[in-house]
Amino acid sequence: MTERLAFLYPEIVLFVATCVVMVLGLSKSLRARKSSAVVAGLSVLVAGFLAVVSTPRASGDASCPLSGVVFSHAMTPEMGQVLLPELAPYAKAVIALVGALLLLPLAGTVDRSDEAKIASGRAGFDPLRSNRAEFYAFYLFSLTGLMLCASADDLIWLFLALELTSLPTYIMVAISTSRNRSREAGVKYFFLGALGAAVFLYGFALVYGGTGTTNLNAIAHSISTGGLNTITLLGMVVSILGLCFKIAAAPMHFYTPDVYEGAAPQVSGFLAFVPKTAGFIAILLLCAAVGWGYSHAESGVGSLLHAVSADPLVQGTGKRLPYLLWLMIWVIAALTMTIGNVLALLQRSVKRMLAYSSIAHSGYMLVGVLAGPGDSASTSGVSAVLFYLLAYGVMNAGTFAVLAALERGTDAEGERIEVETLDDLRGLCASHPLLGWTMVVCSLSLLGLPPLLGFFGKLPLFTSGIAAGQITLVVVLGLNSAIAAFYYLRLAFTPLLESRDEGTPAPVLAPFRSRAAGAVIAAVGVLVLSAVGGWAMGHAFDAAKVSGAAAVTAEGH
Amino acid sequence: MLNLIQDTIVHAEPQTLGAASQGAGHAHGQTDWSVAAIVALPLLACVLTGLCAALRVKSKLPAWLTVASLAGAFALTAKTFAAHFMGAESHAFVVHVFDWVTFSWAADVHAQGPQTNELVANFAFYLDSLSALWMLFVTGLATLIALYASEYMSHDQGPGYCRFFAAFSLFVFSMACLVMADNLLLLYLGWEGVGLCSYLLIGYFYKKPSAVAAAKKAFIINRIGDLFLAMGVMLIFVQFGTVEYSVLFEKAKPYIELARAGNFAQIPFVVKLIPCLLMGGAFGKSAQLPLYVWLPDAMEGPTPVSALIHAATMVTAGVFLIARTYPLFLLSEVALPAVAWVGALTALLSATIGMAQFDIKRIMAYSTVSQLGYMFCGLAVLSPSGGVFHVVTHAFFKALLFLCCGAVMHGFAGQLDLRKLSGVMKMPGWRVVGFGMLIGCLNLAGFPLTAGYFSKDMILAEAFVTPGTAVIGWILLLTAGLTAYYTFRVFFRVFVGPVAYEMGDEHHGADHGHDHEHGHGQGHGHAKDHGGGDGGHHQPHAPGWAINTVLATLAVLSLAATGLYFVGGDHGAVARLVDQSSAGFHSPLAHHESGAGQAPDHGAAAGAGRASGHAVVSYVPEFVRARAHQGEVHAGTFFGADPHKAMYFVSAGVGAVGIFVAFWLHLAGRKTAAASRADALLPALGPLPGWAQGKWYVDEFYDFLVRKPLWVLSHILYLIDSYLVDGLVDFVGAAPKAAGKVIRPSQSGELHGYALGMAGGAVILIVIVALVAT
Repeated sequence: MTERLAFLYPEIVLFVATCVVMVLGLSKSLRARKSSAVVAGLSVLVAGFLAVVSTPRASGDASCPLSGVVFSHAMTPEMGQVLLPELAPYAKAVIALVGALLLLPLAGTVDRSDEAKIASGRAGFDPLRSNRAEFYAFYLFSLTGLMLCASADDLIWLFLALELTSLPTYIMVAISTSRNRSREAGVKYFFLGALGAAVFLYGFALVYGGTGTTNLNAIAHSISTGGLNTITLLGMVVSILGLCFKIAAAPMHFYTPDVYEGAAPQVSGFLAFVPKTAGFIAILLLCAAVGWGYSHAESGVGSLLHAVSADPLVQGTGKRLPYLLWLMIWVIAALTMTIGNVLALLQRSVKRMLAYSSIAHSGYMLVGVLAGPGDSASTSGVSAVLFYLLAYGVMNAGTFAVLAALERGTDAEGERIEVETLDDLRGLCASHPLLGWTMVVCSLSLLGLPPLLGFFGKLPLFTSGIAAGQITLVVVLGLNSAIAAFYYLRLAFTPLLESRDEGTPAPVLAPFRSRAAGAVIAAVGVLVLSAVGGWAMGHAFDAAKVSGAAAVTAEGH
Repeated sequence: MLNLIQDTIVHAEPQTLGAASQGAGHAHGQTDWSVAAIVALPLLACVLTGLCAALRVKSKLPAWLTVASLAGAFALTAKTFAAHFMGAESHAFVVHVFDWVTFSWAADVHAQGPQTNELVANFAFYLDSLSALWMLFVTGLATLIALYASEYMSHDQGPGYCRFFAAFSLFVFSMACLVMADNLLLLYLGWEGVGLCSYLLIGYFYKKPSAVAAAKKAFIINRIGDLFLAMGVMLIFVQFGTVEYSVLFEKAKPYIELARAGNFAQIPFVVKLIPCLLMGGAFGKSAQLPLYVWLPDAMEGPTPVSALIHAATMVTAGVFLIARTYPLFLLSEVALPAVAWVGALTALLSATIGMAQFDIKRIMAYSTVSQLGYMFCGLAVLSPSGGVFHVVTHAFFKALLFLCCGAVMHGFAGQLDLRKLSGVMKMPGWRVVGFGMLIGCLNLAGFPLTAGYFSKDMILAEAFVTPGTAVIGWILLLTAGLTAYYTFRVFFRVFVGPVAYEMGDEHHGADHGHDHEHGHGQGHGHAKDHGGGDGGHHQPHAPGWAINTVLATLAVLSLAATGLYFVGGDHGAVARLVDQSSAGFHSPLAHHESGAGQAPDHGAAAGAGRASGHAVVSYVPEFVRARAHQGEVHAGTFFGADPHKAMYFVSAGVGAVGIFVAFWLHLAGRKTAAASRADALLPALGPLPGWAQGKWYVDEFYDFLVRKPLWVLSHILYLIDSYLVDGLVDFVGAAPKAAGKVIRPSQSGELHGYALGMAGGAVILIVIVALVAT
């Protein structure tokens, strides 16, 4: 089984780095303590690199360049997860890149006042009071869990990986500021997270009950040969409902605004990417186990169009998830994007607005999940989701990093006052041009304005949805994009066009350069990816290959 | 940037261009970087000059950067031309640079066939003899004119200088995309790009209201044409499922066969609509009726711009479009006649306007419109080689004429009124300008043995040869006489005669434009009476070396263009190049079937064309054939003589008459700059001269017909908008907010509430699913 370790080199690197960071963060030397963040960042990048070069490819004659192990087709069923055989390298590379980007604004999140006291000589270093080691260790643990999700081939593995992703984030939220608000948010997040985990664990148990195995490949095999029995279907439904908590989709979205608002913005940005990615990977794996090979007609606008149109474009391939699963995800997708956008309209608080928008983006991506695999990057919903995760991760990191890079002084207890409402961002392009323009670029990209990254991310969601015949849902998606324009344009133009009221102080830069650097790098990333998006999308499409067992048309239910 | 949706579907290998490029030896797909560099160099110059602007360069560096890159582009074009298109036979080839747009929405690839479900438009260049020829004179003239502009624009050194050359280079880049595109989408990109650069450069003196208005006018009127082009391209895509020329012409072949057999009734209406739409785009860009009104106003731009963009290159894009899509124009029985009539009427109308203007640059502008009409007629009377030859000769001599006018304007502080200038040629230092002007005028007037004479004759002769277009020929012949008159009116008034001048009121170094509001009622002062307010700038200054070099070069080239008629095969090198391209067209009827006026050399020409092996579209529309056989029209004869031979003498005679009238009215016995013998003649003509001077009030007519109704409509719509639509929009905008307010209480912040919501929501969904399941 040592060959199998080749799949896990990235996670191993991250785990070793976690141990190192835990020790370094407790060092008496300030330099050593500070280096813990650097070690964390480097290890994430190394993990991403390893994921690309060392993961054995299931397809063709690919051999593992680092380990030298050659895998043949015959070996793959036992070797690793095969439902999405090409997923791991792409997903892990994306996780590493966005994860590293999210690390930059985390600087100075914990121990800020303590470190200030130590620096001024008013206190000595007390390992018991220091949170730095845990904080970066939790960050690495969470990313480790996320990468493990991408390698999962078993329900138990998947569950453990999902929890490894989430558990550290509960604590990261709680310790992200020293305010009670954060602790409250952390506790809420933990309890509701536990509820969500209970739901999908129950779902996993039902799937096991229905198929007699926890191996995803075996489950897929069982479904494609023996049909989809009621228990398994119910298990899938409950699992996906539970996973909606991870991706912040209705009806499991309630925690999102409160937790994002309670946490420091840099941690909120982390939450918007990491658990969401884990959730989507898990949902894709489950859906791939069921397969997209069922046929049933659409109702609503789509059926009208079907009736009047002979256009194959509208007719679609007719290949779908099983009807019940399809219906549930359809309802969840429509509800999620509508609720997210409608509630975001009302917000003046930037973090709450971004929290709701994060909900809405999950709804968008669920369209890709429904569309399923396809022949090309423009018709494959799976590839659309995988690319959108990258796009959303980068744009989202930029907006939250801008919020993290700014502060409006510190309050009586020495805790910094965050940029709270849109009014605080007025005139940002004039006072801090780089941050202001980052905000403009990232929010316009989140809006999906061509020719920015968000547009190229959303486009395949539309085209794959159309190709799969999900016309009604695509109409809903279009309407929601229009609603979203309302608040994203406000977010883009408040820094650019409005000027600061007389008398209100301009926000100042937080004394951590890497936060602003993270924001600017994200903006540059948005622009660069807008230019080379085709290349990235090509990789997403390669990663979206669904293996034979799941892609083959199963018996209709 | 747009190649984001890269699909795995491999599209069909581009077929050979339907008409004229069959044969072996295609070099598809190979990326010849020297060809790509033709396009890249101007873009590089644009970026570098933009950088100069950012670095606040005050020297002439932007000009030299531009000249150097354009010269490089010209050298590469010449190299490509020499390598591929010098021989008796040439083949089109595609140079693929990168995938640009590949979009497929194949819902069911196998059922529909891959072609109908994807849009492929690569950033690739289609080089055949036509595009190579076009690029040759575009880059060559651009280089020369950039050199000219380095001196001409020198009073603006600084940000304006950089801006000028950046837009100039961008123009050449866009023009190269337009001409060398291998698909209609890239052509459209170039088409819009040249329109944008034209807008930017007309409005170069942006502080001057008339320049801004002219720029806007040009842009908006071009939009109308562009709309037609866009619809044409879309229709082509809908109908043929491709925008790539090679595939397109292959797919159009069945229709061409139908048309060749005269079965126009079997060609779908939609297909016949395509050339009509493309025509609209061509008329907008090439300033033909009814969309010509922007071009004379475009003279507000700096003169090098007028010379390059609004005389030599951009305005011929319409001609290029029709030549490029010539096979499609053969599919409709009305398309080519419509082009012929529009071209002929435009030629006549603008010639009459040109006769009555006093601003020499505007006269040249109207003559450009008129000559463009000639070119369209050339295409439409089944003589694309004549049309294209005229494009080439016209590019040289009209650029020369404009640059001479520009030199006058530069030297006399913006003075362009021919009543205030006289005998310029006799002033010290103005000899080159004077001779340049003379050569340009001789060409434009169609003086025997000049290049303009031969190219005009090709069109005129073919108009009489092609059955049914003799009326067009007569109109063009009349226009030729008028052209000779107004051309030499300028020359005799401004460049010869008694020395007298009055400086314009433009101050050097000031960032404002040239004021050529003519007819503004100021007294026409005499020679020594320099108008006041010249800012001490009383003496004209003769052009420097850069301007003189360019003028001399262009004068030589204008003369040398004559040689194109005599080398490289019958009808000249240009005709050979055109015949080998998509516009390749021989008129076998005229020479072989009508029997009348058949000249042995033409038979040999067609024979040679066949013998050399390239496929010639020996297509004659049935309506032409039918009319020829009816015998109502003297098909192919000019009073019983071969038009090709008769025209040498007839057009020479008409031109001579025009020149003589101009001499009699404007030079003989003229003592001052302002008055001439023509003034005495004007009352005899009644209101006609006034109307012509007022440009036949076409602008006012459009104003009445289009602007006023639009104004009224817009006010009505404003009322509807502000009361009805806004109310609706407010309602629609309020609806999501109201919905948000309704569901907002669910976000109470209470943990129990959230848990209840999650659990309840999950239960509700499961119940729904369960209900649906049972």
